[in-house]
Amino acid sequence: MANTLKLERNSKLNEQTGQGITPSDICAGFRFLHLIRPFMAVLPEIAAPERKIPFRQKVLWTAVTLFIFLVCSQVPLYGIMSSDSSDPLYWMRAILASNRGTLMELGITPIVTSGMFMQLLAGANLIEVDYSLKEDRSLFNGAQKLFAVLIAFGQATVSVMNGLYGRPSDLGAGICLLLILQLVVAGVIVVLLDELLQKGYGLGSGISLFIATNVCETILWKALSPTTYNVGNGPEFEGALIALFHLLFTRSNKSRALKEAFYRDNLPNVMNLLATVLVFGIVIYLQGFRVELPVKSSRFRGQRGTYPIKLFYTSNMPIMLQSALTSNMFMVSQMVFNRFPENILVRILGTWTPYQGTNQMIASGGLAYYMSPPHSITEALLDPIHTVVYITFMLTACALLSKTWIEVSGSSPRDVAKQLKEQNMVMAGHRDASMYKELKRVIPTAAAFGGAVLGAVSVFADLIGAIGSGTGILLCTTIIYQYWEMFVKESIENSGDALAF
Amino acid sequence: MSDSAASPNPAGASPRAAAIRRRTTNSSSKEKTSRAPGPSTAGMMRIYTDDSPGLRVDPVVVLVLSLAFIASVFALHIYGKLTKA
Repeated sequence: MANTLKLERNSKLNEQTGQGITPSDICAGFRFLHLIRPFMAVLPEIAAPERKIPFRQKVLWTAVTLFIFLVCSQVPLYGIMSSDSSDPLYWMRAILASNRGTLMELGITPIVTSGMFMQLLAGANLIEVDYSLKEDRSLFNGAQKLFAVLIAFGQATVSVMNGLYGRPSDLGAGICLLLILQLVVAGVIVVLLDELLQKGYGLGSGISLFIATNVCETILWKALSPTTYNVGNGPEFEGALIALFHLLFTRSNKSRALKEAFYRDNLPNVMNLLATVLVFGIVIYLQGFRVELPVKSSRFRGQRGTYPIKLFYTSNMPIMLQSALTSNMFMVSQMVFNRFPENILVRILGTWTPYQGTNQMIASGGLAYYMSPPHSITEALLDPIHTVVYITFMLTACALLSKTWIEVSGSSPRDVAKQLKEQNMVMAGHRDASMYKELKRVIPTAAAFGGAVLGAVSVFADLIGAIGSGTGILLCTTIIYQYWEMFVKESIENSGDALAF
Repeated sequence: MSDSAASPNPAGASPRAAAIRRRTTNSSSKEKTSRAPGPSTAGMMRIYTDDSPGLRVDPVVVLVLSLAFIASVFALHIYGKLTKA
């Protein structure tokens, strides 16, 4: 009964929104995007460059943006009393380009979350966007930005009120407000910097740039950190490489020293570093996999070429979406577990316990446990159910998200077919209609399989203990590869221009 | 390098013919490539594609504002240290 009711209402809704498009009836139909319109005037927006920015200037803008980001992720927030309570986002820090207790506390979470939700909503037709209308496009962009700011505000308020920086009653209302203000302004800055890069002043997007930088920073730090810890017999360096040399030179028993440097498990060891390099290599190797569809020009006889469909058709998007999804879920789960540890529903969502004598909480039961990676190979073997469920979850989530993303991002078979047609290209041995069919056969398969492979590599990296979590390395590697491609393309274009003139 | 085939333009033709075609169809093809996103954009989150009628800001203003923000947080820290001591 309830089902039929819902169906009826849905069809009515469809009718209404359908009417909304016709200009005569525009007031009758309700459209979500129109709610954004009043805010458009106050949303800051970067003016698009009037002419194409030269490559060198682009590099300069990118460097300046990166500099601001790096400074922001080192400056501590004003008014923090203590930040040694459990960090709800500990496992996601690298991916979210955020640093504990600094202005970049939230990192790119607001903008990624808002972008993800809006695009998925639009992809599922829950929000109606007509991409051919300029107004709709701008309203949609505005909506994403507005939600990013709102999410930043929400997350800032939640973390301050939850006592992440000391109890709110100890801090006082003024400091609390100041903390929220700092976090929100930092969020707005990230949104603007990202827009600045994407509008063509810089290279790529701020989101990817910040993630890659943060992961590289972690890896470099873990390899070369000069901090020393005292663990039993004498001080040891945190950085894996430095520790290797230090141990080799100071210890009298060289083989014991080597073993210590390779296999110590409380600090980063050389094996972790090698695992990181291995994963890096695997991802670069897999990037080269592609199906090449033969195409020819319908206008010029005898001109042939290939249209490559990559195995990683959606690149790192599935992993990015998956991590945004799980990190949000972990945050909510941890928050409700702190409030209502006895509630049965909350316990199903996840139970959290401190990790091996630290303040850091890790998932120890419930859904969150099965969605978080095992911490080592031994742990993976000790709880095979966890491992199997986690691997299945990662693979299916990545494959599904990848398949959804091609529809959302405008790289679906239909879009590609249209694009080829606009350039007067046809597939060799296919007519127009069958070209779409062929693309429809290849692209979703590539996207889903590529997503699953990406998930598998991420699990593998986690198991062999690569530095900075599997997802982090994967994101970093794919982003670096994208940037490299961009540089190659840019230099080819430049040399082409040089030849033409 | 195999990456040069990444664009859907026919790459198999002789360079001379390609150069001629480039010269003749230069203006129109440029327009098209700038409008149609290439296949590689699938991997990046493209959020801002167009101009919208909002509060226009020059990128330099953004830089100055963010630096000012960082400076003010620094000032707050210094002020905090001074009043505490």
